[in-house]
Amino acid sequence: MLQFLVTWLATTPSLAVPYALGAVGLILSERAGVLNLTAEGLMLIGAVSAAGAVLSFHAPPLLGMAVGMAAAAFVSLLFAALVITFRANQVIAGLVTVFFCQGLSSLLGAQFGWTSKAFSGLGPVPFGPLATIPVLGPIVFGQDLVAYLVVPILFVVSVVLGRTRAGLNLRAVGENPEAADAAGVSVPITRFLAVIAGSALIGLAGAYISVASVKIWIDDMTAGRGWIAVALVIFARWNPWRALFGAVLFGAIQAIIPKLAAAGVMLPQYLVLTTPYLATLAVMIWVSIARRHAPGDEPGALGRPYVREERV
Amino acid sequence: MAEASSPGAPPAGASRGFGRLTIEVRRSVSPQLRIGALAGAIAIGLTISAIALVLAGVPASDLAQEFIVATLFDPTNLKAVFVQAAPLVLVGLSAAMAFRVRFWNLGIEGQMIFGGVGATAVSLAHAGPDSTRLVAMFVAAMLAGAAWAAIPAALKLLMNVNEIISTLLLNYVASDILLHLLYGVWKDQDGFPHSLKYSASELIPDILPGANGGLVIAAAAAALLVVVTARSRAGVYMRFVSASPSVAEALGVPVRPLVFSTVLLSGALAAVAGFVVASSQEGRLTQSFYQGYGVSGVLIGFLARNNPFAAAIVGVLMATLVIAGQNLQVFYGIPQSMVQLIQAVIVMCVAASDFLTVHRLHWAR
Amino acid sequence: MTPALALDAIDKSFDGFRALDQARFVANAGEIHALLGENGAGKSTLMNVACGLYTPDSGTMRLFGAPTRLSGPRDAAAHGIGMVHQHFKLVRPFSILENVLLSRPPAAGDGAPYSRQARSVAQAIAAKAELLGAKVDPRARVDSLSIAEQQRVEVIKALVAGARILILDEPTAVLTDQEAERLLQTLRRLARDGATIVLVTHKLADVKRFADTVTIMRGGKTVAELDPSQASIEELTRLTVGDALPALPNEQPHFGRRRLEALDLTVRRADGAPAVDRVSFFVRAGEIYGLAGVSGNGQSELAELLMGVRTPDSGLIQFEDSGEAFSAPRPAALRSDGAAFIPADRYRFALAGALSVTDNFAIAGLRRGRYGGWAWTNIGRMRAETKEAIRAFDVQGVRSLAQKAALLSGGNAQKLVIAREFSDAPGVVVAQSPSRGLDARATAAVHARLKAAADRGAAVLLVSDDLDEVLKLSNRVGVMASGRLAAEFEQPFDRQEVGRAMVTHG
Repeated sequence: MLQFLVTWLATTPSLAVPYALGAVGLILSERAGVLNLTAEGLMLIGAVSAAGAVLSFHAPPLLGMAVGMAAAAFVSLLFAALVITFRANQVIAGLVTVFFCQGLSSLLGAQFGWTSKAFSGLGPVPFGPLATIPVLGPIVFGQDLVAYLVVPILFVVSVVLGRTRAGLNLRAVGENPEAADAAGVSVPITRFLAVIAGSALIGLAGAYISVASVKIWIDDMTAGRGWIAVALVIFARWNPWRALFGAVLFGAIQAIIPKLAAAGVMLPQYLVLTTPYLATLAVMIWVSIARRHAPGDEPGALGRPYVREERV
Repeated sequence: MAEASSPGAPPAGASRGFGRLTIEVRRSVSPQLRIGALAGAIAIGLTISAIALVLAGVPASDLAQEFIVATLFDPTNLKAVFVQAAPLVLVGLSAAMAFRVRFWNLGIEGQMIFGGVGATAVSLAHAGPDSTRLVAMFVAAMLAGAAWAAIPAALKLLMNVNEIISTLLLNYVASDILLHLLYGVWKDQDGFPHSLKYSASELIPDILPGANGGLVIAAAAAALLVVVTARSRAGVYMRFVSASPSVAEALGVPVRPLVFSTVLLSGALAAVAGFVVASSQEGRLTQSFYQGYGVSGVLIGFLARNNPFAAAIVGVLMATLVIAGQNLQVFYGIPQSMVQLIQAVIVMCVAASDFLTVHRLHWAR
Repeated sequence: MTPALALDAIDKSFDGFRALDQARFVANAGEIHALLGENGAGKSTLMNVACGLYTPDSGTMRLFGAPTRLSGPRDAAAHGIGMVHQHFKLVRPFSILENVLLSRPPAAGDGAPYSRQARSVAQAIAAKAELLGAKVDPRARVDSLSIAEQQRVEVIKALVAGARILILDEPTAVLTDQEAERLLQTLRRLARDGATIVLVTHKLADVKRFADTVTIMRGGKTVAELDPSQASIEELTRLTVGDALPALPNEQPHFGRRRLEALDLTVRRADGAPAVDRVSFFVRAGEIYGLAGVSGNGQSELAELLMGVRTPDSGLIQFEDSGEAFSAPRPAALRSDGAAFIPADRYRFALAGALSVTDNFAIAGLRRGRYGGWAWTNIGRMRAETKEAIRAFDVQGVRSLAQKAALLSGGNAQKLVIAREFSDAPGVVVAQSPSRGLDARATAAVHARLKAAADRGAAVLLVSDDLDEVLKLSNRVGVMASGRLAAEFEQPFDRQEVGRAMVTHG
């Protein structure tokens, strides 16, 4: 039983990392008022380009992941231009960006022969003897570098959001762009920067899946994790720390499934795979019931293209 | 001076400083401008796509040949276009109807799966005589798809659960349920994960040589919906819900029943698409018969501006693109994902072109 | 003396609509300068040019004699121009401190740590608050403040940003008489210290009481600049409105039975505090019952309850004609019982701006089955009746029946709403601020329609923030304060007494 718990908890962080990074990336963009449904696609871009950098250019895994971040940030310019400059419907723009990224990542993988090639990827941080401590060792000292970096990244994001001028501007643009504009904050520039920064984190989430978790690139390998991250943002009410909590929760749910099978629990194989999706749905239902009468935490201008008010 | 608000033509504009480009919202948009912008956007999208294809190794001189001549003037390909068009028109209609009541139905693939499952259940049970089997499969598909769509609709109306996420998540659940059936009780005797082949009476027949019955179903659905949206009371109600749910509610339109039943209709249309693919293309339930139709449906609905007549046309055009893409794959080794990219680029261009129809740019001194 | 702010020959068009036509405005340091005009006269547009929000098509601007071109609001702030907009530009979930910090123009010390910047801004807020004779807690969230307090935050924000020219757009519209008095005293004090105060208003009383100079605009043009103490109210009215308007006939009405009755209506806000607190009243046939109050005291929530777009937590709405009592009324049910609604937020509750004039008019008849059953509607009849109604109710600016309702001007859009709502001789009418944003002519037309409905025997409930409108039209008046029905008055009304009731419970 203890063994079961240890392996379960030890595999949870690596499953939680993409959710946490993806959700925080989305939070950055949505706190600036841009409804962002692109995560599923941008994660794929991050995943394929990081894997490609490692496979074709023998980049060290961390550098490969940086490439993934940059690639996702670059592709997100397309989405940002659509919704910020051209004021396109943010739902449609998000969906078509996902569609575009699915095609692009599949095309790149096929053209350059990255698809289905295993590589060594990012391993755990070598803590030496610490990792062999019973119970604590595999859980606390058995993770890779990015897993340890998640909390510092979240800390930086929440400090920037809450305690800097840049964060103040970003939140103002998301809550009331008219007021921010009147105060001299450039709404389009702020939103562009928020989307790009957020997309870099989403790209890192995708790169983590290919380079650190699975250590291979396969078409559509994110398998809905981007959508779960979108749901997580609502669950977290646009707060990075609550998003971390949700990510760990979802990671734990996902981690337990193979452990149960390994422990000899007989479950219908394919129905078990529905667990993360049904769990997400359950959480969404719970949030909307529990907070039915609570004031909304949604950024005031979420999903609303900003146009300086000139009379028609 | 601030004249309350007018969401129909939102007050807008951006200007900074003297001597800069300023943006104004047009008071009205002429149909000519709308069509011109749409045509321009599609032309730009196709140009970008053509450049990408040339870069990928298709000789520029062959592009027109491949796209137009080989696809539309070759009988085999033309038939393939029609076969492909039927489900695309149906998913486009499904999306268009749901969007008309402001419901982002991104669960078209899940509803298609349930359509296929419903039809196959009737086939496997040999329900009723052979002569009515197809009708029974059709009805079962619609009921199953509508039932699957009822889940996110109820969650949204009763508990305000965001339908974008719930419908997407339910797609994954539906596909796992499909695999559960195909790898389990419904597995074919040949050991492969697909259902038993439908019998001849369970296949949608060709009505005319070259015209599959599926296309007739799609055309009939489109025609029916054109009438419903243009002339029925429900159509007017939908227009109000689409324009402003709060106004519709305040004017006494039964908003919630209307939204609920329209989403069921949308689910049923998607399910019919699933039934058509299974029964006229695959001849059985397979693992991946639904793949790619969800986003295509949403994009068709968007390009058609939620108009059923336009959805039918866009669906046929999209089918042409798909078949042309298959030819490119066969003759030039262009991956299928390239077609997906082309669709995405065209939709992006159209989405961006809206900006130019709604706004007027001019240079202020 | 060199004027502090001088705008000359300003033109500004919006997609062909000429909002400013060679407009001119000159204000001096140390004065309170009123900019008077009707809704749509171009006052706000002109001041939005002055504060850098709009780029004029042509014209010149001088600040203390120096030709100036503003590149945006922040540039205007750097030039010492601050504006308090009618719709406050405040981020509601932010604290006062965060709002002031957000709008502070770039200054020395911007590189300092956030906490130090916050501290220096907090000190600046305290200093300016003292100047205004008020106390504010910089950590308080803006959405927890009253309207008057929010307005004070806007003034402080402008002063901290270094404003020497302060423009206020309709500042008294949302205040009680007492609050307005206090604000104007504060502005007087700022003017004495050398600031230039521009007061954009459509209220003659404000101009007479407080302004040193008044500039009057009409139809995008500047029509006069004069000393208000030298001009009569009649003269100011004539300059603002143009020709005089016919007065409403004043007959002695006869009231019938109670047609609409509210019983202990209560509705809570998200935070649990009651917005409407056990309100009961009745309206008789042939009667106009006016509900007055300072905005934010529950009248708009009450109006929404009676229109069915908000559900009460407890209480009943009773329709005497049908004998029905509703505890959770929906608009459809109320309308079926003969109610008609003229909501304040027209494009949220009355007109679908993106749809045609025909759709917007015919929806009422369509619901009643006037144009056919579910499957087929008689579009020809819909168009014909819409055309007839547009003529009968004098809705101007309809070039085609397929034209979008959003393209109608405010007054004509309101006439279209009234045409539809009165198409079935309603027994109960609920009208909420029916003349808000309308010019004098359209207001007169709307008032005449309400009177006519009452004369025909309808029970009319008039909910309005505009006390003058309520006193002019109503046969009886109720006053809302803090969500309660604080007092009721019979004719003849004493404006002072009604005004006192509006604030004593606040």
